[in-house]
Amino acid sequence: MNREHEPFPSNALKMSAPLWCVAGLFLLVLYFAVPRLWKGIEQFEPGPDYRIPYSLSEDYWLYHRYAGLASQRDAIPIVGDSVIWGQYVVGDETLSHFLNAELGSARCVNMGVNGTHPAALAGLVKHYAQPLKDRRVVVHLNPLWMSSKRHDLQDERARRFNHPRLVPQFYPPIPSYEATFAERIGTVIDRESSLLSWTAHLRVAYYRNKNIPNWTLEHPYTNPLQPITLELPKDGDTPPSEPIPWMKRDMGIQDFAWVPLEDSLQWGFFRESIGVLRNRGNQVFVILGPFNEHMLSPASLETYKRLREGMESWLRAEGLDYVAPQVLPTELYADASHPLREGYALLARNLLDDPTFQEFVTAPQAALSGSP
Amino acid sequence: MLFHTWTFAVFFLVAYPVHLALRHTRFRSHWLLLVSYVFYGAWNPLYLLLIVYSTWLDYACVNRMAKSPRKKFWLGVSIVNNLGLLGFYKYAGFVTDNLNALLAGLGSSFHLPAPDVLLPVGISFYTFQSMSYTIDFYRGHIEREPSFIRFAAFVSLFPQLVAGPIERASNLLPQLQRNTPITRQAIAEGMSLFVVGLFKKVAIADYLAVYVDKVYSDPGQHHSPALILATFAFGWQIFCDFSGYTDMARGIGRMMGFRFMLNFNNPYLATGLGDFWARWHISLSTWFRDYVYIPLGGNRKGTWGTYQNMFITMVISGFWHGAAWTFLVWGLLHALGRVGTRELERTAVYRERVPKLVKQLMVFTFVTFTWIFFRAEDMPQAWTIISRIFTSGWADPQFPLLALGLVLALWAYQYMIESRAKVVFDNPAVRVAGIVAMVAYVAVFSAASDQAFIYFQF
Repeated sequence: MNREHEPFPSNALKMSAPLWCVAGLFLLVLYFAVPRLWKGIEQFEPGPDYRIPYSLSEDYWLYHRYAGLASQRDAIPIVGDSVIWGQYVVGDETLSHFLNAELGSARCVNMGVNGTHPAALAGLVKHYAQPLKDRRVVVHLNPLWMSSKRHDLQDERARRFNHPRLVPQFYPPIPSYEATFAERIGTVIDRESSLLSWTAHLRVAYYRNKNIPNWTLEHPYTNPLQPITLELPKDGDTPPSEPIPWMKRDMGIQDFAWVPLEDSLQWGFFRESIGVLRNRGNQVFVILGPFNEHMLSPASLETYKRLREGMESWLRAEGLDYVAPQVLPTELYADASHPLREGYALLARNLLDDPTFQEFVTAPQAALSGSP
Repeated sequence: MLFHTWTFAVFFLVAYPVHLALRHTRFRSHWLLLVSYVFYGAWNPLYLLLIVYSTWLDYACVNRMAKSPRKKFWLGVSIVNNLGLLGFYKYAGFVTDNLNALLAGLGSSFHLPAPDVLLPVGISFYTFQSMSYTIDFYRGHIEREPSFIRFAAFVSLFPQLVAGPIERASNLLPQLQRNTPITRQAIAEGMSLFVVGLFKKVAIADYLAVYVDKVYSDPGQHHSPALILATFAFGWQIFCDFSGYTDMARGIGRMMGFRFMLNFNNPYLATGLGDFWARWHISLSTWFRDYVYIPLGGNRKGTWGTYQNMFITMVISGFWHGAAWTFLVWGLLHALGRVGTRELERTAVYRERVPKLVKQLMVFTFVTFTWIFFRAEDMPQAWTIISRIFTSGWADPQFPLLALGLVLALWAYQYMIESRAKVVFDNPAVRVAGIVAMVAYVAVFSAASDQAFIYFQF
């Protein structure tokens, strides 16, 4: 063989099969051990009013860890989008805070994540909420996600939307979602790999969602490991959005083009979330709304009510406990679906007035063991 | 479909087991052809028409040559067809643009329509590979390949289809004809090559690209240190990008039972420009040596004839890389450098008195300087960069130390393996640590990358 066909003149890292076995063993240990060990290294002790910080909304590894911690307590996780998370309030002004205040104990855990529309919520529940199995779980449904084809992800034009990495990558197809085949496969593999999810956690938590090479371009002379302070970012002292009523926001009366339930992708994904939870042995309680009906035009309100009746019919048919809380006073809404601080306080009281809900959130989780 | 993407991983997870299962059957070539066409068609299915046509024509030309006394005619048909395709798809736009500029300069209002054609990925590579078959058959160096399917698999073999190494028919066709055993050692070696290539591409080339792109996208806003470092970084980016690709290609080939030729051999350790071209893109350099330089007369026509032949070959080589004046100037500079230093390299003083490290740094500096033309969008931008390097003064270049560290580590590694320090790598623990570190680095530090390889555009 001449030199041009030698495989290794410019590469000394020539491995034999036994060496690959050794390397494979090391890599396997790294793969499984590093994310586990990290939990012991990185401090994460969520308090009673903890919520996943806004900047960590895409840190699904942390969410999984949070779900694990929540499952170790006798607590009721409340999952949902920014209505549960609290877009216009700070951590101690959310629904779970006021529920806990009414109950006199830290029973309810805010497991909402900003921007998790039902398609994303289904992915979050399916891939990152496994530790909650066999638990009592409250799920919030925000009808806003069916208020237009765009919200329902049915816009034929590709659009940017929240949490694309949580939505199904191949089936069912989502018309608004545009990604290359490589990106879709990469997302699927990331979800299944604890190591890759953990690396995403590092990126989101410590490098402002940038990959490390890009981060070094902004900090060329800083030790690239320096940002890993082992202190997770916290939410600021102010809400992400200004807490003022919707009327002062220049929003006006809306005439939403509601998507019929039978055609709605988001409704289908919500049902899927419920199915996943029930298959995991969770007992589910659904909070439907409270939607800001004050900002709907009469025609839109009419359609909305029919839509909500359809949702309630399905929930009843499925034998699910649910509550559709009464509409809050108009000034307690910040927009179409988010209450303000006082709105959450009132909502918590209204919810606890419902005996089914009260029983659901007060009964000990242990009573659920072995239940379907 | 890029080697460092999950798409390729899925593709290979299907293609490879079936290849292993069929390797002892007569369907081996059929499968290789099918998966290679799937691989190539993933870019654009229309490209397949071109490669099928090119393959069929060269195969037919050799069949005709085998039966006809007019061998030269059929060789001419093959060469004209291949170069015609290449010329049309790669150079038609360049020629039209320049003719239009010339006509406008002469005051003519006549304007040639710009050809609206997309350059098929890898056309420069597979046309050269296919041509090697017709030329080598004409010269009597190889036998006619009886199976069209096998020949088509040779032209399109997916690991090296789009960016080389440009394999010779005399090397690859016999490997397709016989059933090379795929041993555990071959698989292990292939995986090693693949991991090294992946690291070079994802951890180094794509990283450096971010800095290079930032500076080269607006050189007027950057000062001398940033421009120098971006050019330095581009030199390593293109090396890691292209040699990373070929490492991966050779690794995949090795796992499939093929031995592709070495394409890069630590080129930045070259002690002369002749040495550089014996280490850089070796499959192309040797192609030009065998099919251009030697037919022109090589070094058999005296000193000036040799220089002339070297000059022509280098300029053609530059133009092969791209249809732009920048590539032509790049080739021209290398031609001038090669001609200018050949005699110097032969002198005893240079050979014996000048330290090796000095020679290496001189070659590296020259090669890096020429990369300005290779990377610049056009000639005005190249001049802007060069003039600003010398006139714009000092400003903090903001070049990441991590990137510099990676490049220096790679440079040191190359020095080591060309020195007595290579024994360090005889230690299995070092090799295992190296591979584990590279895989871990790519997994933890590097973003999911789908940045295309630089040489795909050629």
